[in-house]
Amino acid sequence: MNDTYYDRPLLKGPHWGSNVVTYLFLGGIMGGLGLIQTIAGSEKTPEAIRLRRDARYASFALAVVCPPILISHLGRPERFLNMLRILKWRSPMSLGVWGLVAYTGAAGANVMRELADEGTLPRWMRHLAPKVLNPVQALLGAFIAGYTGVLISATAIPLWGKGKTHIPAASVCSSASGACALSSLLSTLGGNHTVTRKLERLEMVAALGELAILRHFRTHAGPVGAPLFEGERGERFENYTVVAGIIAPTILNLIGQVVNLPKPVDAVRTILASTLTLAGAYVFRESLIEAGKLSANDPKAAHRQPQ
Amino acid sequence: MATGFFTDATLCIGCKACEVACKQWNELPSDGFVFSGNSYDNTSELSGTTWRHVAFVEERAVAEDTVVSAWSMVSDVCKHCTNAACHEACPTGAIIRNEFGNIFIQPDVCNGCGYCVVACPFGVVDLIGHVDPDGVLYNLATLHDDRREAEQTALQGSGGVAGKCTLCYDRQRSGFVPACAKACPTESIQFGDVDELRERARVRVETLQARGVDASLYGADDVGGGIGPLNAFFLLTGEPESYNLPSQPVLPSTRQAHGYAAGALAALALAAVGFTIFRGR
Ligand code: SF4
Ligand code: SF4
Repeated sequence: MNDTYYDRPLLKGPHWGSNVVTYLFLGGIMGGLGLIQTIAGSEKTPEAIRLRRDARYASFALAVVCPPILISHLGRPERFLNMLRILKWRSPMSLGVWGLVAYTGAAGANVMRELADEGTLPRWMRHLAPKVLNPVQALLGAFIAGYTGVLISATAIPLWGKGKTHIPAASVCSSASGACALSSLLSTLGGNHTVTRKLERLEMVAALGELAILRHFRTHAGPVGAPLFEGERGERFENYTVVAGIIAPTILNLIGQVVNLPKPVDAVRTILASTLTLAGAYVFRESLIEAGKLSANDPKAAHRQPQ
Repeated sequence: MATGFFTDATLCIGCKACEVACKQWNELPSDGFVFSGNSYDNTSELSGTTWRHVAFVEERAVAEDTVVSAWSMVSDVCKHCTNAACHEACPTGAIIRNEFGNIFIQPDVCNGCGYCVVACPFGVVDLIGHVDPDGVLYNLATLHDDRREAEQTALQGSGGVAGKCTLCYDRQRSGFVPACAKACPTESIQFGDVDELRERARVRVETLQARGVDASLYGADDVGGGIGPLNAFFLLTGEPESYNLPSQPVLPSTRQAHGYAAGALAALALAAVGFTIFRGR
């Protein structure tokens, strides 16, 4: 390979900071909760119905919080609505914005249904949210959980491009485990213990899936993966996302499945596991964005761009 | 019909007249006074407010006790790609292909999301920083009223939008040649109908090769990766990497199908597990 131009970067890195990272994190969990409300709703026990309600409320709350965070990263925030003047299939960012709008609609309608069932809103209002919006919220939620992975891999940044399948799949897993963690946290605090076990089982599967994908990505990416897996950034990623965010909570959740701990101790265990998972999920998104900046500065990787 | 540039490294004398003419016509702010230490290249790269950049490839060779320098310069610019990554990525539709077949950012539509910046496989487009109100960086008061109003004013009053070469959309509309091509004293930058320029470039590269010059075209034909030919293409001596032009650029949107499929698969698998867990009591 020839010398590059004075080793100067070929590409321009992302201008995205902690507000984008926060959106990726919260938006992912919001989408994951969309899946959980449908899954929980498939079981007709009172505990599961309660979980469905909690997941719907939490998801809608996140849908309210996310847009302002997203808008805050724009160079010209007052022009946010320009994204709604056009729909482009070839732009994951455009699709994502419309997905977000649709998701908020579905999530809002389902919250309205819960409130109508509960009696807080007039009962006739439940007809404004037909049953079909339940699976619709799950489908849109799955899209929201993963599209940000597609969004970053459809760029020139070598690390992100190399992860065109790994990053979206890992994003979905991370979103799902984060949503499980938040749900079990809420359920434990609300005294809804029976569903916590089930949520933690799903969380373990999602977390281990993420771990497997990340491990495979590391070998697949080779030197292009260095910004994410090596150096200081790699250490932070390994410590917070892999060890503290995946392995530790999985062990804690496993203990919860096999050992019959006294209630208060068990509650502390769940709170600890959930917090670790959530922190790891945040660092996962942060590492992706920050490592993308480092990757953009590597001219050797950028001259031969991944297919 | 599309217009474009043919930029010929064998004719460039490194005078940077193109850079200056571009800055002046488009009323772009200074890059600051920075010495890079890399030959005579203190511009270093294209940016949101630097739309021509002359690369200096200075090679030192020792021949019989004397050190000689071999020089090659080329003026880099937005490639106005056939399949432009920035154009596909832009979620606001701010980036359009105009009536001259050029890729143009409408500065009054762009909301500064920055997606085009990471999408461009050539590292061309970038966000323009916000201009400070005191105008220290860029004195807005010096703008003529009509220019301040003009759509083409890159900074749109206060920056925060994406910027790159407009191929002098405003000049073309008035029947003028882009400022850089006009200013180039050696015709290293040629502007015109792209098909005609490609013909000219092929003849030129053959002539040079016949004379034994290691010359090749970059972007006159398909550059690969789904991008297609470039409407601003180059004649280079030596490898493209040495001028900071990617040897294997890829159109990033080609990866999307894989991404959605992988994401959907993961979601499906997790949903199946989830339903089994919850129905199973
Ligand atoms: S070189 Fe980059 S900025 Fe220019 S048209 Fe192509 S993708 Fe867009
Ligand atoms: S920064 Fe502006 S031009 Fe670039 S993709 Fe975003 S809206 Fe489009």
